[in-house]
Amino acid sequence: MESTAAAIEPTVVEPPAAVLKGTARGLEAIVNGTAPLDAIAGAIEKRIDEAPAFFRGSDIRIRVEDGPLATGSLARLEALAVKYELRIVEITAAKKKEIDAIPQPSLAAGSAPSPVGDFDAEGPTQAAAKPLAFPLPAAANAAPAKLAEAEVTELDALVESLPSFDEPTQDAVPLQLAVSPEIELQTVAPGARLVVGPVRSGVILEHTGHVIVFGDVNPGAEVRAEGNIIVLGRLRGTAHAGIGQDVGFILALQLQPQQLRISRQVARAADSDSTALQTEIAYVSGGQIVVERYTGKLPASLATSI
Amino acid sequence: MGRAIVITSGKGGVGKTTTTANLGAALAQLGHTVVLVDADIGLRNLDVVMGLENRIVYHVVDAIRGKCAVTKALIKDRRMENLWLLPASQTDDKDAVTPEDMRSLIFELKATYDFVLIDCPAGIEQGFKNAIAGADEAVVVATPEVSSIRDADRVVGLLAAADVPARLVVNRISPHLVKKGDMLSQADVIEILALEMLGAIPLDDQVIATTNKGVPAVLEGKSVAAKEFIRIAKKLAGIEVEARDGVGFFTRLGRALGLSASPA
Repeated sequence: MESTAAAIEPTVVEPPAAVLKGTARGLEAIVNGTAPLDAIAGAIEKRIDEAPAFFRGSDIRIRVEDGPLATGSLARLEALAVKYELRIVEITAAKKKEIDAIPQPSLAAGSAPSPVGDFDAEGPTQAAAKPLAFPLPAAANAAPAKLAEAEVTELDALVESLPSFDEPTQDAVPLQLAVSPEIELQTVAPGARLVVGPVRSGVILEHTGHVIVFGDVNPGAEVRAEGNIIVLGRLRGTAHAGIGQDVGFILALQLQPQQLRISRQVARAADSDSTALQTEIAYVSGGQIVVERYTGKLPASLATSI
Repeated sequence: MGRAIVITSGKGGVGKTTTTANLGAALAQLGHTVVLVDADIGLRNLDVVMGLENRIVYHVVDAIRGKCAVTKALIKDRRMENLWLLPASQTDDKDAVTPEDMRSLIFELKATYDFVLIDCPAGIEQGFKNAIAGADEAVVVATPEVSSIRDADRVVGLLAAADVPARLVVNRISPHLVKKGDMLSQADVIEILALEMLGAIPLDDQVIATTNKGVPAVLEGKSVAAKEFIRIAKKLAGIEVEARDGVGFFTRLGRALGLSASPA
């Protein structure tokens, strides 16, 4: 969905000061950190002015390249956002492309409807993006458009608070996994990886497409796929489907996982013992993971994930 | 050429050393020549369990460093003619030997003896890598506890990566606790580990008593655990284990526990 990528300043042969792109997750502004602030603001304004109604109310992610930005830039961007009724939901400083660094998006908790995608500095791996290199101005912190610091909770407290998929899902708090735009792929790489199990404790199975396991996924093992995950056996470890995607599902003959992650949602197993004896499918619906019996039909919303 | 079998578990305290001592004694009783190698360098205790600690002059690190001939470091068991122990060093640590050292040592022993049983240290670090280096096959010991099974699962994965085929011994199973539903059954253990099972050793006070005396339970004779160790040894040696009363131990134990004969 690289729909509207356009360079703004035709006179500059060097990288433009700012580029606006439409992505699957909304608007993205790629800002050249070396450009003067006026040029950046001008470039963004000019682009938005071409179709102000189209952009109004959008979420916008700002990616700074070759940063850091000059002091005061953030306040200026914030003012721009207010002017055009945009919500800045994430600011990242991009590193060089690191496709291999995809696997472990760090966990970040956010309570706002559009969680601020700051990265958990203590996350398992620092993904390809890092927080901005300059302090956030206090004014921006207070702004409703949410540059407020992400509530980076300790991981165990976080996991404790995760919605449990055996509990009523209405009460569960949706939780999002922050994913760097760098690692976001627009389409699932074609092809499925077929694996003969058991996938044992300590093994991390990764694939850019779909994964099908013939056998069990044991506790302590992890299956990670940008596509969907199908376990023809017991899923007792952790599975993360739809990494970097908007949709995805996890299907298992017996779904008894330690943790399920789909796209940017996380759910943990209920603390109570429950044994699923039927084939079940987990997918994201209404911003949270739901698990239901698989009756031979894929929910309509998942059709695009295959 | 003999066979080298590593006894391992991942988790500590599940009975690797006791299993090594008893399987070694049982294989020797069957008439095979057996060497027990204590690979737990720095924390040796196979010698204690075998009751041979006061006979140690040289140890495995001496043998590897060429301080003495390998045969010189072997301690002959005082009860059996065809059972030897190669004790670990108590003063070195796991880094004192390399997997290559172990591989050539075990290879040398295999040339002379029918069975080389390697007592692996707990953990999956250097000591584990050393212990499995020369092994042709592995016996994974697990107790019916989730933590033990989790670790065993990890170890089985590592063994598979090293091309060492593994079989399972479930240790310290307590039939009445299983019956009450307070303990995982051997079927539960197999279900997760998906391994061929050699046997299940019942929890037996006799084992604790004899182990503390420095005598493997197998050599004291009559206990249920000893009988099961002997059965496992026969299986290891490739002897068809006779089914008493036409019904095997596991089937009977399984029946007692209300399980089906084959794990689900």
